[in-house]
Amino acid sequence: MSTPLRRLQQAPRHLLVCEKGHARHERSRHAAHVRDHAYNCRVSVLIPECGVLPQVLKSAVADLGEYYVVRGLSVHQLVAHEFIESFVRKGSCYALAYNTRIDQDNTAALLPSGKLILSVDKDTYEELGLQGHPSRYSGKKPMRYIITIDLTDSNFHPDGKKHKRVLWALKEKKPLEFDFLLAWYNSGAEGSTLMSYFSKNQIQTLKPKVTFSTLRDLQCPVLQSNELQGKPEESCSTEELFEWLGAVLNQVNLDNVSSSFLSTYCCPQPNTIVDQAFLCTITGFIIPEKIIQLLEQLCCYFGEPKLAQWLTLTVHGFADSPVSWRENEHGFHKGGENLYNFVIFRNLDYWLQMALGTNDDCPP
Amino acid sequence: MAGFADLNVPQGADRKAVQSLLEAAAHLGYSAVALNHIIDFKEKKQEIAKPVSPSELFPSLPIVQGTSKRLKVLTRLTLVVSDPSHCNLLRSTSTNIRLYDIIAVFPKTEKLFHIACTTLDVDLVCINVTEKLPFYFRRPPVNMAIDRGIYFELLYTPAIKDSTMRRYTISNAISLMQICKGKNIVISSAAERPLELRGPYDVANLGLLFGLSEGEAKAAVSTNCRATMLHGETRKSACGIVYTVKKLHKIEEEETVPACKKAKTQA
Repeated sequence: MSTPLRRLQQAPRHLLVCEKGHARHERSRHAAHVRDHAYNCRVSVLIPECGVLPQVLKSAVADLGEYYVVRGLSVHQLVAHEFIESFVRKGSCYALAYNTRIDQDNTAALLPSGKLILSVDKDTYEELGLQGHPSRYSGKKPMRYIITIDLTDSNFHPDGKKHKRVLWALKEKKPLEFDFLLAWYNSGAEGSTLMSYFSKNQIQTLKPKVTFSTLRDLQCPVLQSNELQGKPEESCSTEELFEWLGAVLNQVNLDNVSSSFLSTYCCPQPNTIVDQAFLCTITGFIIPEKIIQLLEQLCCYFGEPKLAQWLTLTVHGFADSPVSWRENEHGFHKGGENLYNFVIFRNLDYWLQMALGTNDDCPP
Repeated sequence: MAGFADLNVPQGADRKAVQSLLEAAAHLGYSAVALNHIIDFKEKKQEIAKPVSPSELFPSLPIVQGTSKRLKVLTRLTLVVSDPSHCNLLRSTSTNIRLYDIIAVFPKTEKLFHIACTTLDVDLVCINVTEKLPFYFRRPPVNMAIDRGIYFELLYTPAIKDSTMRRYTISNAISLMQICKGKNIVISSAAERPLELRGPYDVANLGLLFGLSEGEAKAAVSTNCRATMLHGETRKSACGIVYTVKKLHKIEEEETVPACKKAKTQA
């Protein structure tokens, strides 16, 4: 009797990886980590001791680019050679299927490296007829398969057998159609835009939604940049900071009032009370290149003397995206979190925390 | 990794109530729902009517929350058997039973449980959660049922309504787990009102209380339900398998060929 109930004491598996570095060090991998995480749905910036955002940061936040929503786009249009030549090869093209659940339905995603990832269930895989491998989180009897098609492969030219087979499978054997979120980043070179290419489908341009708020009398933990584990009376550890940050971003009341039954969470000790803190939240389909620019601007924030000891940048990935970092498979068991958090200190040291859920691999 | 399904939504007489139940299920994230007709043989002899097609009853099905697909509605029949003679209905081939998508049986005695697991042609065996089990589960019939692809169904709505039934639900479920080790379990509601429905992830958490592992609990609401639906489909499609062996006499071979054509048309 004890064996099955022992499982009740264990929580579903989750992973938090903490790294330390310096932003101006030549081998710092902060930009690489941001670039590897392709699909981001929410970016939050928390700056303690700040009432008004400086103009530079305000313009950086406003300039996060735009993304497109296309309804009813067939996947074979993403495999068409014209699309590959105009968008995939010239710049970074991001596409993610929208309104699908990774643990229930089929999903498709296009990575900037030119790989098209299809995460399909068993019936669709058997009907589609393309080569794939079973999902790692599927159990003994695989119910989910991942098909990876490299669109920039040299064998993938219009007359090749590979291309013909993929086109036949996606067009005639089992047509797959999704609503897609699309974004394209090209470094300067002009070309046709996604709007004009998909003008026949219902394409809509959207800008990421930005909200600002100022938090008053916030308890912030004291941190020391070289102490990841925290010293008992002097600074807090990274796990404590992560939990506190989650509570603040979700607007949880940190008072621990006896009449409240919702939460008994308190700010970790040692902490200070700051008069005001600035919280900026951006939601939408945000591409990593823009996040790198925002990160650079946040590092320049400490160029002038400021009261704040540190600030944080949190980026959430989509819960239903088939990949988390690079091409690591992402699954949804009871929660699909794949997020990372930068804590940037005054001396430009940074802490990077990457968090993943149950059906996920360790990030690189 | 399949869509979430709730295989037991009682079909009441009131169409509006069932419509609100379907909308609640779609809002919670279920992709498929089975409307259940319960036939109890203890009452006077009831006729088993042909199942009404859900598309006639509900012209517009709600869209599942988070996707762009519509809710799938199936028909299901549950037979509450307390006497071996009641099972004869299942053996006959020319009744309306064949038209239902899923067939379930609710055995009340140990002998009937054994018969249901080993010989009866059903998809689900319901486990009583409202009172103390009158019999203990034994390994041989349970293992035979698992081999045949039959799933055991547990309900969770009685546990929401009453605390005594909550105790019986958990104790009956745990005693089943000790025998079947978590395989072939389906958890479903028997919700009569939308308030009694719970989301699929919550039901998977309830499975943890019954002693299932994380993966098994989620499968109880998704993958196992899909397997049950497919089991029901195979029951509709194939009546039997004909195995032809090349013999030396050609005449015998020709005789078997018309036989398999006959079996196909009967189905």
